[in-house]
Amino acid sequence: MTRPSSAQRLARLLAVVPWVVAHDGPRVAEVCERFGISERELMADLNLLFMCGVYPYTPDALIEVDLDGGRVWVRFAEWFRRPLRLTAPEGLALVAAARAILGMPVAGDEKPNALASAVAKLETVLGAGGDDQLEIELGAASPAVLGALQTAVAQGRKVLLDYYSFGRDETGTRVVRPWRVFSSEGHWYLLAWCEKVGAKRLFRVDRARTATVLAEHFDPPEDLGPVPLYESRSEDPVVTLDLAPGAHWVVERYPHEGTVDMGEGVLRARLRVSSRAWLERLLLRAGPAATVVSGADGVAASAARRILTTYGHVTSRSDPD
Amino acid sequence: MDRLERLVNLVVALLDTRRPLSRQEVRQRVGGYSEDEDNFHRNFERDKELLRQMGIPVVTEPLDPARPEAGSGYRVPRDLYELPDAGLDEDELVALGLAAAAVAFDGVGQTSTTTALWKLAGASGAGSSRARPLVAPPGGPLVDVPMDEAVATLFAGVSERRVARFAYNGLERRVDPYALSYREGRWYLAGFDHGREAERLFRTDRIGGPVELEGAPGAFLRPATAPSGPVPPWRLGDDEEIVVELKVDASQAQWAVALAGESSVSGTSSDGTTYLKLRVTNRAALRSFVLGFLDHAEVVGPPEVRDEVVQWLRAMASGGEAAGRPS
Repeated sequence: MTRPSSAQRLARLLAVVPWVVAHDGPRVAEVCERFGISERELMADLNLLFMCGVYPYTPDALIEVDLDGGRVWVRFAEWFRRPLRLTAPEGLALVAAARAILGMPVAGDEKPNALASAVAKLETVLGAGGDDQLEIELGAASPAVLGALQTAVAQGRKVLLDYYSFGRDETGTRVVRPWRVFSSEGHWYLLAWCEKVGAKRLFRVDRARTATVLAEHFDPPEDLGPVPLYESRSEDPVVTLDLAPGAHWVVERYPHEGTVDMGEGVLRARLRVSSRAWLERLLLRAGPAATVVSGADGVAASAARRILTTYGHVTSRSDPD
Repeated sequence: MDRLERLVNLVVALLDTRRPLSRQEVRQRVGGYSEDEDNFHRNFERDKELLRQMGIPVVTEPLDPARPEAGSGYRVPRDLYELPDAGLDEDELVALGLAAAAVAFDGVGQTSTTTALWKLAGASGAGSSRARPLVAPPGGPLVDVPMDEAVATLFAGVSERRVARFAYNGLERRVDPYALSYREGRWYLAGFDHGREAERLFRTDRIGGPVELEGAPGAFLRPATAPSGPVPPWRLGDDEEIVVELKVDASQAQWAVALAGESSVSGTSSDGTTYLKLRVTNRAALRSFVLGFLDHAEVVGPPEVRDEVVQWLRAMASGGEAAGRPS
């Protein structure tokens, strides 16, 4: 563990002292338990505290700390009768965490009531309060699918997924061993071992039409390994694009293998592309702001022609390749 | 003397005084500062900065209100320092601790949940040892959320109803902050933009520089119909609002509805093809949304929007991407 900063130790002290003052000699173990600190850390703080007070630091002007029979008393610390008020990041972090958990799609009636009342009280202290002031969306997911996946992870049981593959633009079923369910950047993900491809895969929960928990059990690995949201494999082909300012979001959003500033706001970026459909979407969205330098000749043009047929337009121009 | 000891004594001295203390009084009352004038000056500035970062309200006031030219001093007003009583019971404290452990913040939020839970644990009354706030769920946090100083300041502005000032798209804005929402990895602020005299949505990662709150709390009333909830990208713009109808193949309908919301569904045919009606103020974002479905979705109307998409596709189809041969 890294050594806590002076600021962190001070923050802890300013919270622990009011609680000890308010309770007549709580047990040392109880204090440690409550604040999640070790006895050594608490003793270090208390040793320092009894040298503190007001000028001229004569014994009658100092905070009194007594340790006896595993209990602790702090007296003459009237300045610290209440903890310090919450900072803006602290208030936001707590309310956002609570709102996130309360907003999770859950099947049935399993909302934690204590959390709902806690966040309401907290918001009253922070200001006007109200649940329409802060909304955290963790991502669209069917409560039934998310619930099934969480159950399967908890019980170590395999799952049959009916899954739409965004990259290949096709739907199919597969059996997976679910390892972990989590939300990141506004989407729910399932990290699992896919038996169909025999490899670790990351699935978007909102792209699973159904998830059926199977009877068969599996043993999850000790270490799940890194979980990159965008996986690129070295065998994937490289596409090089010139990106005008209107398409800089491409390198902000997706991993890439470096950019070169070409001047006049143009960035030349190298991307590993694992699926054609993914590249088609990227190029169609970016439009003229992205120019293919190499590796994807005619991809956008043929995708555009394919989509135009759904609009009833047939382009006369033949494919250059 | 240990720096922490000096900091505790500094907080005590500033809380203990009713009138502002001059620098030299601070130096005399708080032991542990250097004899050297420059060193004292530097260390006191650093300490003051650290206390303020922790949220300790070190206020600067004139030493003599009648003679402002006589210089200023420092104190910490109790009423600004002390955490108001939230009245949390032990079960609520535990519930908050569990929620905080399930969500990982980065940026300024990283250590904020720990220090916030310490403060709440220090405040609540009953002495139960069940309150163990910081237990991470097995398998790691369920959710990760980025947080920076700008978002935290805006949240304070939303809670306290104070006017926020910040730079956005190259313009200085004064905004009554109504609500914050987090969607797809980004924070959005809804509020009333004084310069434009209209409600606007802002992406907080596009705010340039710091966010400042001005004036006193309670500076405005939030309208009863304050825009709440995350807003889809095609609503984030200044285009004149139009209603656009989309047709989505059955294979992608579930996903499209999840993104656009149930209320946008205007019809479903027997083969599962789904029709959506979207209120659009950002046509470019709508185009991106539709093209994300490749040939599984199309714009039905109005004609000018359908034409825009067709023109865009035609330009692409005719080789707008002149491969490898820069012109």
